[in-house]
Amino acid sequence: MVQVTELQDMYADMVTARHYEERLQEEYMEGKQPAFDISAGPIPGELHLAAGHEASGAGVCQHLRDDDTVTAPHRPHHVAIAKGVDLKRMTAEIFGRESGLGKGKGGHMHLFDPDVNFACSGIIAEGCPPAAGAGLAAKKRNTDSVAVAFLGEGAIDQGAFLESLNFAAVHELPVVFVIEDNDWAISMPKGRVTDVENGSQRAGGFDMPGVRVDADDAVDVYEAAREAVGRARDRNGPTLVEVQVHRRMGHFMGDAQGYRPDEDQEAAQARDSIERLEADLRAAGVEDATIDDLREAAHERVEAAIAWAKDQPKPDPTAAHEDAFVNPPSGVTDTEPEFELAGGDD
Amino acid sequence: MAQTQEGVVERELTMSRAMVEAIADEMREDEEVFYMGEDVADYGGIFDSTAGLREEFGYDRIMDVPISETAYLGAAVGAAQAGMRPIAELMFVDFFGVAMDQIYNQMAKNTYMSGGNVNVPMVLTAAVGGYYNDAAQHSQTLYGTFAHLPGMKVVVPSTAYDAKGLMHNAIRDDDPVVYMFHKRLMGIGWMPAPDGPKTPVPETDYTIPFGSADVKREGADVTIVTLGLHVHRALEAAESLAEDGVDAEVIDLRTLVPLDDETILESVAKTGRLVVVDEDYRSFGVTGEIVARVAESSLADLEAVERVAAADVPIPYARSLENEMLPATEDIASAVRETQ
Amino acid sequence: MSDTDTVAVEVDQYWPEDADEDEGIVSTWFVTEGAAVDDGDLLCEIQVEKVDADVLAPTAGTLAEILVDEDGEFARGDVLARIEPA
Repeated sequence: MVQVTELQDMYADMVTARHYEERLQEEYMEGKQPAFDISAGPIPGELHLAAGHEASGAGVCQHLRDDDTVTAPHRPHHVAIAKGVDLKRMTAEIFGRESGLGKGKGGHMHLFDPDVNFACSGIIAEGCPPAAGAGLAAKKRNTDSVAVAFLGEGAIDQGAFLESLNFAAVHELPVVFVIEDNDWAISMPKGRVTDVENGSQRAGGFDMPGVRVDADDAVDVYEAAREAVGRARDRNGPTLVEVQVHRRMGHFMGDAQGYRPDEDQEAAQARDSIERLEADLRAAGVEDATIDDLREAAHERVEAAIAWAKDQPKPDPTAAHEDAFVNPPSGVTDTEPEFELAGGDD
Repeated sequence: MAQTQEGVVERELTMSRAMVEAIADEMREDEEVFYMGEDVADYGGIFDSTAGLREEFGYDRIMDVPISETAYLGAAVGAAQAGMRPIAELMFVDFFGVAMDQIYNQMAKNTYMSGGNVNVPMVLTAAVGGYYNDAAQHSQTLYGTFAHLPGMKVVVPSTAYDAKGLMHNAIRDDDPVVYMFHKRLMGIGWMPAPDGPKTPVPETDYTIPFGSADVKREGADVTIVTLGLHVHRALEAAESLAEDGVDAEVIDLRTLVPLDDETILESVAKTGRLVVVDEDYRSFGVTGEIVARVAESSLADLEAVERVAAADVPIPYARSLENEMLPATEDIASAVRETQ
Repeated sequence: MSDTDTVAVEVDQYWPEDADEDEGIVSTWFVTEGAAVDDGDLLCEIQVEKVDADVLAPTAGTLAEILVDEDGEFARGDVLARIEPA
């Protein structure tokens, strides 16, 4: 049974994420119109928004601690928010500011928050092996930390994902792989690129449990994640979980979605996991006023983060040459040892 | 940590044993150091890179992995970001292709993309080199490929003494280090090494700084800059050149990233003649980089430049073909004579 | 010095167990003649039928004489080197 407090936590994460993505969409389009110039405006480059994915991040991360590791793909904001990433510094990073998580060097696809062990990356399935590695470290150190790798359904054909399933299975690592199935890999509908009906079926090939959560429902995700994360924490090995979500916006901002049938887009708009969770809250006896307060607080939090970020200084250009390494180029020493070697060398 | 030792060091080791001695020492000191690779446990590494380690440290710390480079190299990145110190091995450097994303997009870039808030204290070891007829996919050095992409330190030891000191530094460094060891320098029974790589090696631990080239032979008439196996071939060439009255200075780079410009420029200022020798492909690599750096800083000092490198073709199988396209000792001597 | 003053480094105790061959080679020497060695120090590596084995010093002292050089062959019962005890 989900506690009411947990329902409220997930709701807060989800409305924060939804409002965040909607606001970023506005901020992103600034300066890029009328002709779409991708490098113009306060948020240049690509932006992949996760409106419609909220249940996945919230339902899974509800079971995670700061010392659990999460890797996410290029559509990460809802996961980052649910994991507890510093929202102000994350926003500053997306706006390319010096006080961003990566000092403006990573941007929206490469967000790192070591305080909560969150990282995302821009190559499909790339986060899967490092998540397995975090699980490996936990196992070697004998802690009960776990690792979760998020990926899209478009990633289930990528070698990095498949290899990670095997690696996690054969080494019995405390890892959960979470596929967010939003039906579309840019313009490719699932069925045209993958032969199995659902990504969760991949688990069968790797001797690992595979679970599919069909409904776009935070509580269902919560239940499936509880079991998977629990298995990992109890050192009973990895699990593959697949969660149906929906993509309310384009693949990236600027994507006209010409490939996507109108009915599909409308259906996505109609299925709203946030509305479903609101219904669950009311059914659990939470009053409308409380729900409104949660939503209000989420909006304020998002606005505060965006305002803070836009106020931050841009990086000094010379900083571009720094931070490739944390130690000096010479490593841990810069002096030669002095030995007398037989034969007269050195 | 001792950077010196009483008395003359007489005990010699092969390069593989020197590497193993460093790894074993670091593993005894720090539980977070572990080695992962294919056939590294009972087999001891197919090029002896972990010989004897499993017997001392067990299967958990000397970890055999599936043939799954993307997974296990990426796992090394993840474990390193969690604070452990993995040493992950590419059995042949040529296999980097199947895992390059984890190497150059994660291992090499996460520190920078995070503004230095995350670091990756891992060592990526890789066996390199040809001259034993293993053909195009198992004989490469690929020094240029790894040196070119930003975010990883790259070392190439040529002797047992250098190998141990560089390995200690690589393991202790909080940044990712690519440690490229030449198969023919290891001292393996079935692939005899030339005389040079087996050297006296101090029993104590010691660190050699990265970015410090070593003048292996002083000379006045020509500067030969090289690395790995060709340090020994250059020294051999220097012997025969000396008989002809040409006194060659041989500089062993030891590290590619960071590169020791200073030692090279000092030498060229003295000799005016530069020969760069590299077992990797000629174009867009180490030889071009060295010549460019010298030209940028010391054009006036340069009277002659020669490059000796692998031809820009895949490495062929038949002995006569491989010998033709890879640099031979005689090629080094000829190049030097061209500069005089 | 005569043989009776020195300790023989005999190869038989390091002969790999399953080896049928009666010959091997010394692949690498790690110390040179005249070097000081401790009891148990690594002296050389031998190879019999593709199996490697490490040969250790039977006593502390000075490596007086190498009888089988690198790449040199030996047979069962051979002496590889002699140590003058400390």
